[in-house]
Amino acid sequence: MTSAPAILVTGLVKRYPVFGRFRDVLLHPLRRESKTALAGVDLRVERGRCFCLLGPNGAGKTTLIKILTTLVLPDEGKAFVGGCDVEQDPVWVRRRIGFAINEERSFYWRLTGRQNLEFFGALNGLRGRRLEAKIAEVVRLTNLEEAAGQRFNTYSTGMRQMLAFARALMTDADILFVDEPTRSLDPQAAARVRAFLKTGLVAGGGKTVFWATHNLAEAAEVAHEIAIIDRGRIRVEGSVAALTEEGGKSLQAVYDGAVSAGDTSGEGHPEEGLP
Amino acid sequence: MSAVAAGFRPRALGDYSARLLAFLRRDLRDALTYKFSFLYSIIGIFFSSATFFFISRLVNPAVPALGPYGGDYFSFAVVGLAFSSLLGLFQEGLPSVIRNAQMSGTLEALLVTQTSVPTILLGSSLYSLAFQILRTIFYLILAAAVFGMKFGRVYWPGAVSVFVLTALCFLSLGILSASFILVYKMGNPLGWIFSSMSGLLGGVIFPIAILPSWLRWASYMLPVTYSLDGMRKSLLVSGGAAQVLPDIAALAAFNVVLLPLSLVLFRAAVRKAKRDGTLTHY
Repeated sequence: MTSAPAILVTGLVKRYPVFGRFRDVLLHPLRRESKTALAGVDLRVERGRCFCLLGPNGAGKTTLIKILTTLVLPDEGKAFVGGCDVEQDPVWVRRRIGFAINEERSFYWRLTGRQNLEFFGALNGLRGRRLEAKIAEVVRLTNLEEAAGQRFNTYSTGMRQMLAFARALMTDADILFVDEPTRSLDPQAAARVRAFLKTGLVAGGGKTVFWATHNLAEAAEVAHEIAIIDRGRIRVEGSVAALTEEGGKSLQAVYDGAVSAGDTSGEGHPEEGLP
Repeated sequence: MSAVAAGFRPRALGDYSARLLAFLRRDLRDALTYKFSFLYSIIGIFFSSATFFFISRLVNPAVPALGPYGGDYFSFAVVGLAFSSLLGLFQEGLPSVIRNAQMSGTLEALLVTQTSVPTILLGSSLYSLAFQILRTIFYLILAAAVFGMKFGRVYWPGAVSVFVLTALCFLSLGILSASFILVYKMGNPLGWIFSSMSGLLGGVIFPIAILPSWLRWASYMLPVTYSLDGMRKSLLVSGGAAQVLPDIAALAAFNVVLLPLSLVLFRAAVRKAKRDGTLTHY
């Protein structure tokens, strides 16, 4: 089990049904239309690495994360997280992952940060002293000791993001998924988040971080490896150093090349306009 | 393997209870931040009891249809209202839990935890169920202490059996409604059908004996008819087992069909929503 990569994805395909207009449903009740979000993704992420998935809006990043975190089922292909099949063993997968959902509405606003952590910790099987110890640990790691007793609705955006990390770490998971964690943060808070994930969790804690972003500078700063996804396919994959040295290009040029290669294929952005 | 995974015992009753208690604690803490909601609820019960107390003064106790329930309309109506609210919550609680979590944005965070979807549903509705049970008890105590509601010699085995079978039956209906919400997001035709028909046909505030015979047959298709009949006969008259056994048998028959059906359909609904990628959509 320990020799398995943190994440292994082979031939992953996801199509979302497209819900037509009422008139179309009446006239063609059996017709099923779909949009392809992932069109055969292959990916391997080794343990203890910080992996960045780059791509424009609608490229398939969020769909891939949702499949890897068991929230969405794939149509074809296989995905293994921590050696477990996301489709066959979703409960085991959820024991091995933390998902830092950066949606502030995913918290209970009238409860304190600590009360939120107590609740989600209990849902992850922690109780009693283990729960208390875990909360103390993640609150210290995320530098929220002083704010933990305050109601969530008094938190700044940066504090909310750090509480999302604290919640994701409540599982003791080896693999952490983060979806654009610095999207709405100011530069200083974003720098703290990057340092926390790369230095605190990956280098210091030996965890694997799977980081979806469209911020190239961020990826260049934190990632051991990157993959660029566009229109549901992985266009480029490798370490930043190897990708940039190979053709003597900047990461921006590599990215532009990968995304424009997709443009010439005539495919539409799969996730845009989905329900 | 992580420490959490190593110590995790999904089948352990203690672990299961701890998860349910976490939901209860969360909702209690949340409710305590709204200081006046409990007070409003109590005042509402008082006014509702008073309304039916004065209506009962208009009703002739000699009405034959009230005979099987002790002849007192006020007691009849209080049991009907108190328990129909509770049954409504059993049925509406689960779909509203899903709908609220979808709308508030917490559903995704709940679904990536190591807690199963049925436990999340049950846990999320536990506080409102517990609160409604306390409210029902308070309703009955208030009606007896202030307005002179008449209890018979209560037949507890009957009352408990009817309550448990009714709770399972209405939870099954709730699971069916929740399955519908998971897939179609809005609208809950099952809940609408049962809530609107129960008021007219279930015997909530008048005995079904006064309905025309063709309409009475429709009321026999509803579990609420047997729930209220059995509960009234257990609480208001002292007829013993013979009087409530037909209601218990009918409720058991509903459960034999509804419980497995609801669980199978709910499982299919979760899978469909995950397949369509709409599990957390609203």
